[in-house]
Amino acid sequence: MAAVTGARLLAVTVLLTGCGERDRIVVGAKNFTESDLLAELVAQQIERRTGLPVERRLHLGGTFVCHAAIVAGQIDLYVEYTGTAFTAVLKHPPVADRDSVYRAVAAEYAARYGLVWGRPLGFNNTFAIVVRRADAERYGLRRVADLARVAPRWRAGFGYEFLERADGFAGLARVYGLRFAAPPTAMDLGLTYRALADGKVDVIAGNSTDGTIEALDLVALEDDRRYFPPYEAAPVVRRAVLERHPAVRAALDELAGRISDAEMRRLNALADVTRRDIAEIAREWLAAHLP
Amino acid sequence: MSAPPVLEVRDLRYGDRVAGVSFTVGAGETLVLLGRSGSGKTTTLKLINRLLEPTGGEVLVAGARAAGLDPTRLRRRIGYVIQEVGLFPHFTVARNVGLVPRLERWASDRIAARVRELLALVGLDPDVYGHRHPHELSGGQRQRVGVARALAADPPVLLLDEPFGALDPITRVELQREFQALEGRLGKAMVFVTHDVREGLLLGTRLGLLDAGRLVFLGTPEEFRRSELPEVRKFMEAVA
Amino acid sequence: MSCRRSGSSWKRSREFGADVSLLDFYARNSRELLLLLGQHLYLVALSTGVALAIGLPVGVLLTRRPAWRGPVLGLANVFQTVPSLALFGLLIPLFGIGAWTAITALVVYALLPIVRNTYTGIAGVDPAVREAGRGMGMTDGELLRLVELPLAARVILAGVRVATVVSVGIATIAAAVGAGGLGVYIFRGVATVNDTLILAGAVPAALLALAADGLLGLAERKLVWRP
Repeated sequence: MAAVTGARLLAVTVLLTGCGERDRIVVGAKNFTESDLLAELVAQQIERRTGLPVERRLHLGGTFVCHAAIVAGQIDLYVEYTGTAFTAVLKHPPVADRDSVYRAVAAEYAARYGLVWGRPLGFNNTFAIVVRRADAERYGLRRVADLARVAPRWRAGFGYEFLERADGFAGLARVYGLRFAAPPTAMDLGLTYRALADGKVDVIAGNSTDGTIEALDLVALEDDRRYFPPYEAAPVVRRAVLERHPAVRAALDELAGRISDAEMRRLNALADVTRRDIAEIAREWLAAHLP
Repeated sequence: MSAPPVLEVRDLRYGDRVAGVSFTVGAGETLVLLGRSGSGKTTTLKLINRLLEPTGGEVLVAGARAAGLDPTRLRRRIGYVIQEVGLFPHFTVARNVGLVPRLERWASDRIAARVRELLALVGLDPDVYGHRHPHELSGGQRQRVGVARALAADPPVLLLDEPFGALDPITRVELQREFQALEGRLGKAMVFVTHDVREGLLLGTRLGLLDAGRLVFLGTPEEFRRSELPEVRKFMEAVA
Repeated sequence: MSCRRSGSSWKRSREFGADVSLLDFYARNSRELLLLLGQHLYLVALSTGVALAIGLPVGVLLTRRPAWRGPVLGLANVFQTVPSLALFGLLIPLFGIGAWTAITALVVYALLPIVRNTYTGIAGVDPAVREAGRGMGMTDGELLRLVELPLAARVILAGVRVATVVSVGIATIAAAVGAGGLGVYIFRGVATVNDTLILAGAVPAALLALAADGLLGLAERKLVWRP
């Protein structure tokens, strides 16, 4: 008797955790605060609207890590940026028009990977070329093109992904004619702001919606030559998951266009500067905006 | 007036291990310190070259208070031979013997000559043994080197702590005989610690018997043989 | 985990950059490779040197003050158990981003093998040798210089060997804090799921560790006194 029950229990356990589609959603995130925040927001939204259990895998790794994970089915969903998908993943040369970029990635992701792009969340998180305010004032730096003047005497510091990506440092240096005295210092992305503030490097590539830019008395330079494509944030989901749980689509669509640049910056600052708990920030935001 | 004795020990104390020991040793004399294990003989020896610091009493070397001298300088004027020998394994025999002269910054040819002289003195052919290392030597040969080393800087005093104790009986007898022959020629004041009565009677100009940290007998070998003291009789019976 | 997907996912992840062979990569990036190799060697050499300069005297001191042995070796042991990435992170506020944080962390990790082996090597010298030396009038310094250190050299060098090999490995983490070195390739490879890049950093690091081990082993055999 006990043996039969045990065998049944084992079979059920294997079925639940093993092969085949799960009844829970796995949400991933890239290895920076904003991605973790958005993942938490999306996860909580799905939980409250569909009742499905959601497993978070935050701070997984960079773009390529998350892409590999979703393609392999190890995560079901993560928030990606249209420009990143367009240039880094699909390896197209950058294009400036928002809508064409979105349409292109949505079509190709569906065709090649069986992944569906949700509607954009409402903000554009482009790369921000950031310098210290004191330097910006001293050398009259307002646009990235102005950097070319000081670059030969300056040190740049970047995270590993920015150094490797086609829409990253190599292209930037070429388009703006930036020639630094030495190759950029490579470090963990999270350390670049500190390195800039401490004076170890003079220019970094942050995100335009980072909360720490103002807090550390830094300035983002204008991308006057429109080197960077638009980076609209939107959820990317495995088609199989949407087919099995259509309610997820509706839950995600509710978030469309709800977060402006300023709003994202505010949320990032709450997490990075005020150091509030990410889950709480997400909970508060949802309660306030989508009761 | 005669010169002060080379070595004088006055009421030497070390806790209760050495409880007021006094003796003198002149040049050319060998004082054998005899006693059972734990009687304080090795301790007494170490008090002389200040490897242990006396808790009471005085040691005088050539009339100068040992306590007033820098211990290092004192020890370089006192030859020290121990049972385990303690040759430096990474030095050749020649370098081992020449240690103190080298520390004293003698000229290298003077050191080389002295080393040859001493090796020959202890019965080791310098050309054969000079460049060898201790591990290539037998126990008896090592102790010969040990004695040569102790004599290298020509110190007035020589301390020997059971130098032949770790050797096999045949080698021991051999070295005792050779040592006896050397004693007269060297003219040093020697303190020789042993628990072997026969060795003591053979090598000593005088014998001192230590019992529980006290010197209960001090006299010539003849006087030792004839003594009626119970402690002495016990030792003599063990030999008989 | 979705086992249904695993086969296709492996193929899919390959498309990200394992198409360049390792040798091709080196041929095209030889200058950068040499630069990173140089940085790596600099980190390891400097930190091992500093660890030796600190650890050797401390090890000697422990033989003179046996009461300190427990606390000092205990402390060095604790340092060793701190996960390397964590230690790098903790040192950033003190030494900033860059080589100094990395070097400090590497020194910390190299200390235990060096201190411990110095202590063990010297303590292992035959007490009779020490007694004979003292008895003949060697000062503490002469004893150390002429007897104890030469006799302990083999064990001490073995400690330096361990410290160096460990350092080569941990120095790959230095790239996370902007100190350069072969870890730069590894981190770039991890960020972009590029096996070639990861190997481009890992293989030379492993070879470097082997070479250091071999060279120091040779020195151990040839240069120092053996019983």
